[in-house]
Parts: sequence; C-alpha cells; structure tokens
Amino acid sequence: MQAGTLAVVRRPRPLPAIVPIGLTVVVLAILGVHGFASARNVTNLGLQGAILLMLSMPMTLVIMSEGLDLSAGAVLSLCSVAMALALAGGHGLSAALALSIAVGAAFGLGNGMLISLLGLPPFVVTLGTLGIAQGIALVLTDGNAVSGLGPAVSALYSRSLLGVPYPVLAALATWWLTHVLLYGTRFGNYVYAIGGNRDALVLAGARAWAWHVAVYVYMGCVVGFAALLLTGRMNAAHPTVAIGMEFDAIAAVVLGGTSFERGDGRLFGTAIGVATIAVLRNALDLLGVESSLQVVSIGVLIMVVIVIDSLRKARKSA
Amino acid sequence: MTGADARSAERSAKAPLLELRHVSKAFPGVRALDDVSLEIRGGEVHMLLGENGAGKSSLIKVLCGAYRPDGGEFLHLGQHLAIASPADARRLGIAVIFQEFSLVPFLDLAQNIFLGREPRHRGSPLVDRGRMHREAAGILASLGLDYDTHALAVDLGVAQQQMVEIAKALSQQARILVMDEPTAALSDRETDALFKVIRQLRASGVAIVYISHRLNEVFELGDRITVLRDGRRVAGMAVADATPEQLIGLMVGRAVGTVYARRHFATPGEPALEVRGLRTATGVDGVDLTVRRGEIVGLSGLVGAGRTEVARAVFGADPIAGGEVRVFGTRVDGGPERIAARGVALIPENRKHEGLALKRSTQDNLLAASLWKLFPRGGYRARRAVDRARELIARLRITPAEPRRHARVLSGGNQQKVVIGKWLAAGCSLYIFDEPTRGIDVGAKSEIFALIEELVTQGAAVLLISSELAEIVHVCDRAYVMRGGRVRGELARSELSEEAILRLAMHGT
Repeated sequence: MQAGTLAVVRRPRPLPAIVPIGLTVVVLAILGVHGFASARNVTNLGLQGAILLMLSMPMTLVIMSEGLDLSAGAVLSLCSVAMALALAGGHGLSAALALSIAVGAAFGLGNGMLISLLGLPPFVVTLGTLGIAQGIALVLTDGNAVSGLGPAVSALYSRSLLGVPYPVLAALATWWLTHVLLYGTRFGNYVYAIGGNRDALVLAGARAWAWHVAVYVYMGCVVGFAALLLTGRMNAAHPTVAIGMEFDAIAAVVLGGTSFERGDGRLFGTAIGVATIAVLRNALDLLGVESSLQVVSIGVLIMVVIVIDSLRKARKSA
Repeated sequence: MTGADARSAERSAKAPLLELRHVSKAFPGVRALDDVSLEIRGGEVHMLLGENGAGKSSLIKVLCGAYRPDGGEFLHLGQHLAIASPADARRLGIAVIFQEFSLVPFLDLAQNIFLGREPRHRGSPLVDRGRMHREAAGILASLGLDYDTHALAVDLGVAQQQMVEIAKALSQQARILVMDEPTAALSDRETDALFKVIRQLRASGVAIVYISHRLNEVFELGDRITVLRDGRRVAGMAVADATPEQLIGLMVGRAVGTVYARRHFATPGEPALEVRGLRTATGVDGVDLTVRRGEIVGLSGLVGAGRTEVARAVFGADPIAGGEVRVFGTRVDGGPERIAARGVALIPENRKHEGLALKRSTQDNLLAASLWKLFPRGGYRARRAVDRARELIARLRITPAEPRRHARVLSGGNQQKVVIGKWLAAGCSLYIFDEPTRGIDVGAKSEIFALIEELVTQGAAVLLISSELAEIVHVCDRAYVMRGGRVRGELARSELSEEAILRLAMHGT
C-alpha cells in the first residue's frame, strides 16, 4: 500500500462448470445404470477413455494457443495403418511405433509450419491435412482393414500393472508429461503467451514462431503414440476407424473450460471433460442408446456448460 | 532544495547515457522525423512534448529499434553504435512501456516479468520457479509494491499492469525507460503512486523519457524538455526555465499544407443534434453539445480525450450510461440502425474496417445504405443502380470514375469520398466525421472539406472530430474542446485559434 496502488493478491480461479456437472453425470450413472459400477465395466470405461485422454491433453495446448487440430482423428487412423503395415511386414514393435510417431510428428510439423509461418487459419489448415491423412490411409489399405499383425501389440495392450491396464497408464503418463510441459517449462509459458498476447512473446525476444510450431509437433507425436492403443485394441488397423475422435477431444477441452481466444486453459478441466464424455458414452451404451443419439447428448452437454460458464463470466464482470 | 541543486549539478557533469544526432525517418508522403537530436542523461526525467502527430511516437519507435532511421547517429556513453532491432535496444538497456501493455493475461506476475528470460534449474529444462518468484518479488518490493507474484495478470487493473511493466523493464536491467503517456488511464491516486516510483528510479540513476499531454506533469516531474513539431525538434530546455505559455506557443503552428479556406458561413438553423449530460462506460463523463443545421461544429481535444467515444455513443454504437441525445428534436435511444434511420451518418476514423466493404465495388459501397430507397419494392435493376452510382461518382468527383472498381484499390481520399457518398445517397442530414483526413494527402484533404462544406450549405449539420488543430480553426463555425471525457470549453468562430484549443485541451494551464 505504501506506493498507493492497491495491493495485488492472488485470486482463486473459479472451478469450471464441468466439475459439478461431470460429478452429477457420474453419480447418475452409478445410481441409475445397471452394471455401470461393476469392476469389469470400470476397466472397460478406462480403456475407452484412454485414447480420448491422450488426444485431449495436447489438444488443450493447441486450443490454448488459439489453434485447433481437426486432423487428429484422421492422422491417428493413418498412424495406426502405418504401424499395422510395419508389423504385418515383419518389423518389430519398437520400429513400428517409431514409424507411427514419425508420421504423427510430420503431420504436426506441417500443420504447425502452415499455421505459424504463413499465418493460415488453423481450421482450414487442419481440415486440409485431415483430408490428406485420410486419403493416404485409404490408398495404403484399399479401404480394407490391415490384420495379421502377430501377437506383440495386442499382448502389450492387455497387460496391466497392479490391476491398472497399460493403456490407462499410458494415458495418465501423457497427462503427467503434458502437465510438466505446461506448468514447468518455458514451452508451457509460451503456450499461454501465444494464445494470450503473441506480441509480448515476440517483444520478449523469444522465437514465438518456433514455439508455435512445437505445439503442433507435440500434438502429432502424442497422436503417433496413441496409435499404439488403437492398434492394440483391435489387433488390426482400419483406415477410417478414428475419424471423428478429434471432435470428442475438442469437446473435452471445451467442456474443461479452455478458452478459444484468450490463452486460458487447464489440463485438470480437460481431464474432467474426458471423464464426463467417457462416462456418458459408456452409460448410454449400457442403456442401449444408439451412437448417433450419444453424439446429440454430448452436444447438449457442451451447450449447457458453455452457457453456464458465460453466464458466470457475465455476472462476474457486471 | 539543496539536495535538488546538488543533484542537478552532479547530473550536468555526466556524459549523456544515450545521444541521438540528426536522426531522420521518412514514410511515403510524411517526414516523421526530420533532423532530430536528443540527449538522454542518467538520473533525469526527460519530457517529450508535442501535438498529435508531432513525431513523438516515431521517435520512440526509433529508440526501441522498431524503426530504422534513414539517417543520423546514436552514441551510447559516447560510443557510436546502431540500434537496428529490438534486441539491440534491449542490450543497451532501453525499455519502452507502450500504452498497449505487453502482459500475457493467464500467466502470473513472475512469469510475465521473466517472459523470455525464465531462470532454469542447472542442467534441466525445468523453470526454477522458486528463484523466479523470489527475484520478481524482490523487484516489486523495491518499487514499494505489495503484489503477490502468483496473481494472474488478467486480474490486474491498468495502474497495476503498468507497475508490472516497470518491474519487467527493471528485471532486464533497463537504464533508459521510455513511457508513452503513462498516466492516460490512471486515477489521481494511481498517478501519485506512479510518480513516486518514477522519482525513485531517477534517484537510482535511471533515465526516464516521458511523453505527456499534461503540462502539470511536465512541471511536477520533469527535469528537461524537448518539444517536437512536424517531426522536428523545435526547442529543448530545462523545466526550470520554461513556462506553460511558452510551451504551448512552441507546440502550435504546425504546417498542415494548404489549409482549406471556408467559403461562406450561413446562419445556423434548427438544432440537429443536442447532447445533454452524456456519460458512458467508455469514459465520456458529462458532455453537453449542440449542432445546428448549416454549421460545422468542431470537437477537438488530444488523443484519448473522449471524442470518438462521444461519436460512438451518439450513434448508438456504445451504450449510454446517463444523459440524453436528441436528433432533430426527438430523443433517441437504441442501436446504430435506429439512429441511422433518423438521418444520422457516422464516418468513422478507421474507414477501411468500419466504413467500407473493401472487396466490393465502388458502386456497391456507394449504394449500400440506400438500396431500399432506390428500389422501394425490393426488385433490383442493374441499369438504375449503375446510373445512380455514376451520378454520385460525378457529384463527389471520385476517381477513377468507374463504378466497378474495387474499393480496396482506391486512394485514401477517394475511399473517404465513397464513404461520404454512401450516406449522402441515403439522404442523411446529420454527419459525424471522425478524423476524416487521416492518412489522406494534402490535395484530397481540401476536396473532402469542400464536400463537407457543400453538405452544410445544403442544410445538413456536421460534427467534425479532428486532431489537426488547424483544420478545426479553419473549417469550423465553432468548436468544443474535450479533455478527460468532458467538454472543457466552447470556442466561437472569433475565439478559435490553435493556442486557445491547446490551452483547453491540456492539463494544468
């Protein structure tokens, strides 16, 4: 107070609206859906949510940087196809995984360069790469599933540690890694800066364009890794199997309270968003609701959360 | 007093921290800086004064490496060197605090202060957050600020953001701190706090280059003054040797090319616009003004005085918090469509973004506001539209006289004519012009004013916002002068002079 401007204290950040809503969905599912809380179903739920959690973590960074990645699902399919072809061709699992990550990273690099260096809108760029990835996957497979991969990848998928399946551990590891990157490194600070005030980053002498590309490369690498889960689950690859997964990932990020405009976001919120979508889909499956109606329910959920968040913001600023 | 004397004696003995000699910078059509020399010494507050457009901003941009001057030299502690990039400026310890802050909203204060220079743990990519927060807290405490370094920038007020910007500059070991109108958005108390920090920095040997429009600040805070006009340095002196009258005299008298000469003045008719006690959330704080048919009324003031905000509120583009607006005697309330329907036209400052559809043709733009008038039954007839467009093009003397030419490729002056033509075609009778000649060359300026005069001779009313004092003096029937969101005075035709306007527009005179 000595200097006259008011003291500044840290203000607690309000919880995103998804937290109470997600809890409500979980409680309703436990109470109202027969078989939801069974051990078998919980494991199943974890496996279903694992890939979504993996995609949603880097997607949070992409959206915080005022970006978007519509190509994630198509690139994931392509990575899975590449991995499966490598395995079917007799290569080892680590070589196949390296190939998959390289494919994902290459698409991330392409997306990032076009967005950061040429300033093209992320929506258009990633819509284009979506088409490219999907097309290549179809050409490589003639539109058919790739099978005959041998036991290695599905064996890895089925293993567990202390009762926790490997795919769930992989997803949690991705969360942890993204957490360390976002909250503990320069890269994380610059993700906030690219979305919140890119000029400030440029004026601070950082290579903003390179960090911006790095956001998409990270996304691509994680997608390449997630192909391991997708391929292991079916012990096969299908060229269009993951199409549309990017929408669930974007939905989870938005539900978690990440802003498209101001460089604001939280991984915790995204994780709750992922859990809510996974629980909702799983519970509706158990209730026998068909898939297209599940999409409707996720849409409604997004609307409710967005309206609540914006009403709260309006009240706060009034 | 003796302390101050000793300080000034000590200061004059020192070599300047940074010296600019004969610096020039030209842009197409404008000499932004013309042979400007400046000496910045450690431990002084150097006030940079000048009217809008005098070259202050260009000088700052040269100092911080954003512009490369066309000619001239820099000396840092007597050594010749070049400032070719923002990185060079930073190395020399020059930090600029612009009016637009460079904070990242969702990073905390420590992260903002050390953005781009985050300390890291030895041999690790992880940021040493403990050290970063300790050092940030130390800098903030040295400024006498009780700020939690974990708070997010988004939760700060303007004054607090400014303090964090200063802390950021100090963390980069800035020796020369350039501040562009730092008090423009601050309350009196916040201003006092800022001055206290500035005095403390001065005592520690930092040089402060301070741009202000407020004369009282010059005398309260400054040590030396440099006055710019038309990109030239017209005077430099110690504050102790200056008087307010003298400074105003030095700032006015800008050459604005051939100023338009008004042909005749009519007796004003009925009131077209009456504003009473207007207040808005955007900073308008009780404004009264009247514009009658047949007169051009100026709305003058320095940048940030609230002129544009008045125009936007009158036009319904920003909500009105208090007071009333009457157009041709009827009280109006509502959005721009309803105001425009009453015959009011706003020709905004930023014509490219707000006034024109750049990718559409001259004809489309000209007819945009009058299509219903031209085709009341809704059917569009191409022949008729082209004829109407040609008629307007001829009347406004738009070149090229080609209805299908894209608005984007027209010169600034012709774009402005298209915007005027759009409202003319719609039959508007109250025109609000916001900086109508910005970015327009001298010849086109007088054509624009000829058009504006034509509007009033035909019975329309015009409110003219301009930062060019000479335009207000030569074109208007009378003028209001704003400062700090209020009208500070009304000048009749016989009282209109650049000095009179500046005296009302500046603080502390």
